[in-house]
Amino acid sequence: MQGLAIVLALLALAPFLWLLVMSFKTNAEIFRFPPRLFFPATLENYAALWTSEFRTSFANSLVVSVSSTIVSLVVGVPAAYALSRWAGRGGGTITLWILASRMAPPIAFTIPYFLAYRYLELLDTLTGLVLIYLTTNLSLVIWMMRPFYDQLPRSLEEAAWIDGATMWQGFTRIILPLSGPGLAATAILCFLFAWNDFFFALILTRTEAMTAPVAVVNFMNYEGWEWGRIAAGGTMIMLPVLVFSFVVRRYLVSGLTGGAIKG
Amino acid sequence: MRIARAQHRFFVLCVAPSLAVLALITLLPALYLLATSFTPLNLTRPETLWDFSEPLVSYRQLLVDDRLANSVWVQIKLSFWTVTLQLLIGLAVALLLNVKSRLLEALRTVFLIPMVLPPIVVAIIWKVIYTPDISPMHGLFNAIGWNVPALITDPNWALTAIVIADTWEWFPFTMLMVLAALQMLPQELLDAAKVDGCSPWQLTWHVTLPFIQGVLLVAGLFRLIDSIKAFPLIYILTEGGPGSLTEVTNYYSFLQAFNFSYLGFSSAITVVLLCATIALSWVIIRAVGWGVRVD
Repeated sequence: MQGLAIVLALLALAPFLWLLVMSFKTNAEIFRFPPRLFFPATLENYAALWTSEFRTSFANSLVVSVSSTIVSLVVGVPAAYALSRWAGRGGGTITLWILASRMAPPIAFTIPYFLAYRYLELLDTLTGLVLIYLTTNLSLVIWMMRPFYDQLPRSLEEAAWIDGATMWQGFTRIILPLSGPGLAATAILCFLFAWNDFFFALILTRTEAMTAPVAVVNFMNYEGWEWGRIAAGGTMIMLPVLVFSFVVRRYLVSGLTGGAIKG
Repeated sequence: MRIARAQHRFFVLCVAPSLAVLALITLLPALYLLATSFTPLNLTRPETLWDFSEPLVSYRQLLVDDRLANSVWVQIKLSFWTVTLQLLIGLAVALLLNVKSRLLEALRTVFLIPMVLPPIVVAIIWKVIYTPDISPMHGLFNAIGWNVPALITDPNWALTAIVIADTWEWFPFTMLMVLAALQMLPQELLDAAKVDGCSPWQLTWHVTLPFIQGVLLVAGLFRLIDSIKAFPLIYILTEGGPGSLTEVTNYYSFLQAFNFSYLGFSSAITVVLLCATIALSWVIIRAVGWGVRVD
């Protein structure tokens, strides 16, 4: 059984490893078959990326992803807390609304945003991207954090209120410090969503605000299929993702299903 | 009483900004989309902006557009095969890994990689595999003397090629959800069945599977909704071709809006897609009862 599992894992991993190895090959080596197991590894693909426009796109991706994560957390976390504590009316409607905005096909937002951004002059700007990433990330924050707060006992902040703390103090001094792990996982998932996005950036940016995933695809069109560079760019995009995913692997299920299933 | 009122005010203050922002960034655009779908908006003809003289013209066009009908059929085929294969493979791998062992627990993380990769990187990986010049797969086939056509440009294989890539990317999702559910399977249930002399197969069929069928349903529904959004794989691998054999509805709507500039028509397609998504989301909420408070 274990042997079978290992073989399957290698099979599942092979396509990914191939791209990783390819990023260290020269173009001649890429076209060579059968491939040599030991080939002279080169960093020239990465060096070529570093001196090209790709560097700017990579920085754009970082800025947009971090900004959208921070804004979503600041706006969304208090709401998640309140929704967890406050069994008000209309909870079901809000739930459906939040789930629907997470599930909506991206093109449903892209068309109106594209039309509106033409007037607001937000096409091809980082602000425009941060704004459209909020559509998913704000829902994600409310969704991830609400079940998390459901598990924190109410007696914690109630004790603080009896001792004379205000509601706000109860939240910032008692609840927030206990939210560390949940906040970290949520922040990483928000970052990953924005970082991984291709569709929004493809349509809403041209040159100035182009993000790394779109820049890599452009290597396919204009510069005559530079496989080495494409592989190196792909690797640079996926490295932070792999590291972060490993950190939050326990939260992946609830992140993807929005707390419907607790992993 | 004083606390209750203060509490109420505080909660309203906490929720209000999120609701306001959500309304601004999701509800307003949804209404804008709906309004656009009632116009024949074409960006190359500015006079079509806000032209509501014939509000249902795009919707009537939906009914007679053969290419759209074809795209819905392609979508159904793609969704059916990807969701089915992902459920089967994900379930099989989860059952295989559900053994207490250090090695297998480490392997779980390895199996997650395809799912967490950025979709664009997944598309690049499969573009490499499906491009005969540089593909290790084609190299292998040539070495053993099989003459295999380039899958993504071959009419008989293009959709299958997409299904394979999409299944590879997302089977870990089912696997992860099933593994999470299996951890909650009560040990007493398994012990009782073993005492009664169940074979491992009987155990899986009569105890484990009924226990996780709810999770399988939810995983299937989530993947079904996501399969409607399939974009990077199709954009990078086939661009909807050859012909329109891999052109799913979402991709067709993208072409109409951003290649042909028919934003009005595209909005009408998208409104229908959006309604389908909301309906499926509602089914999910009913299925898992999420949002219904039990305290």
